[in-house]
Amino acid sequence: MKNLVYIRGTKEGLVLQLEDQCAYTDMLNELKAKVSDSALDGSAEVQLHLGYRYCTEAQYKEIVATIQNNSHLRVAKMRSDVISVEESNKRIQERQSETYVGIVRSGQIVKAEGDLVVVGDVNPSGRVVAGGNIYVLGRLKGIAHAGANGNREAVIAASWLEATHLMIDDLIETMTDELSVLSEQPEMECAYIHSNSQNIVIDRLQELRFIRPQISTFKGGS
Amino acid sequence: MGEAIVITSGKGGVGKTTTTANLGTALALQGKKVCLIDTDIGLRNLDVILGLENRIIYDLVDVLEGRCKVHQALVKDKRFEDMLYLLPAAQTTDKNAINPEQMKELVTELKKDYDFVIIDCPAGIEQGYKNAVAGADRAIVVTTPEISAVRDADRIIGLLELEENMEPPKLIINRIRQHLMKAGEALDINEITTHLSIDLLGIVADDESVISSSNRGEPVVMNPANPAAMGYRNIARRLLGESVPLMTMDKQNTGMFSKIKAIFAK
Repeated sequence: MKNLVYIRGTKEGLVLQLEDQCAYTDMLNELKAKVSDSALDGSAEVQLHLGYRYCTEAQYKEIVATIQNNSHLRVAKMRSDVISVEESNKRIQERQSETYVGIVRSGQIVKAEGDLVVVGDVNPSGRVVAGGNIYVLGRLKGIAHAGANGNREAVIAASWLEATHLMIDDLIETMTDELSVLSEQPEMECAYIHSNSQNIVIDRLQELRFIRPQISTFKGGS
Repeated sequence: MGEAIVITSGKGGVGKTTTTANLGTALALQGKKVCLIDTDIGLRNLDVILGLENRIIYDLVDVLEGRCKVHQALVKDKRFEDMLYLLPAAQTTDKNAINPEQMKELVTELKKDYDFVIIDCPAGIEQGYKNAVAGADRAIVVTTPEISAVRDADRIIGLLELEENMEPPKLIINRIRQHLMKAGEALDINEITTHLSIDLLGIVADDESVISSSNRGEPVVMNPANPAAMGYRNIARRLLGESVPLMTMDKQNTGMFSKIKAIFAK
């Protein structure tokens, strides 16, 4: 019979490689038998390689439980070579940039999964929400929420930053006088989460290339 | 086939009804056949401002529920020959008594006989607003140089822009007080138009005689010398396609004292 679970030792520690072409239950049974083996007595961290098998969240939890309940091993990392179409589309969307041309007026909400470019003003009580970064080519006078799906690296940039509320991930900053004074003048600015203080801070737009160099995807040029 | 225009603002008290009455009158004076519809059911005012309150027999709800024919409910303003008519709102029920489809049908019917059908919209963005906007071909947003009125105008413009088959809305800035604007106490015209970024149809000065003439049931526009009346007349001419320059709000100092002061100023 073919081995359905390989245990390998690598530089990074133990790797449990699970066969991806067999039935899930067969693999789970063999996994249980292997990890229960007394030879694997010591407590160690293992990595799980699922190969081309697609596991649902419940199945993944079941595998981890099987390992951790029957041995002293602890699953530190999981690697899979496949994702669902849905997840893949979501990732593509999150990386895409969407453009809204027009004015976001009071009471309106413009949402994007990825980056959002607004060509026009965001008026007071208007709201722009993006999974990624927000760029406003116009006056941002309303509410902007960047990194809405938990991306704390996201930034909000505007040619005129005069927002009433700035939100990045779960942080919210109301633009009090103090903050407006700090920013001196609202022209060409960006807001981001400062790595030390974990607060939303505002800086000149020109500083963005040092603050978040990874935003630039442009390659080449001379 | 005429044109249906809704006069709206979001906020109450900025002068929708006064604007409706005066624009309607100004257009009638220009020789256009005009029908005004008051959609503020339960809180009707347009009839009072036009001085037609005691001549109402049937109302909008009577027409839509089939209790009378449209022409029976229309109140003719005898001052303007056969040019100005009013379809008053009902006072005894509320805004939910009618629906947008009925309004659309009615307005389409009226457009056949009138050059302009002007619809006075109630404040708010609920049922009353939806009824008023339903049959309109274009919208005029009224605001005043106050931040609260401009905020609400912004909201209303956002909603109007979502309406299908409607031209981009135009703006009237009402109740302008020149001395406050100059002192920077009130928003200035430029600030408002850049903020709302829609075309400015006209401006109307704040004038005390607007109140007194409304109380008498005579739209102020009937007195051509009045500064507010000039604003309304200019707007009416622009609606008819004329290009009229925006009037300057500076009060011309023609008194003796100011002339003397002017000499010394040189």
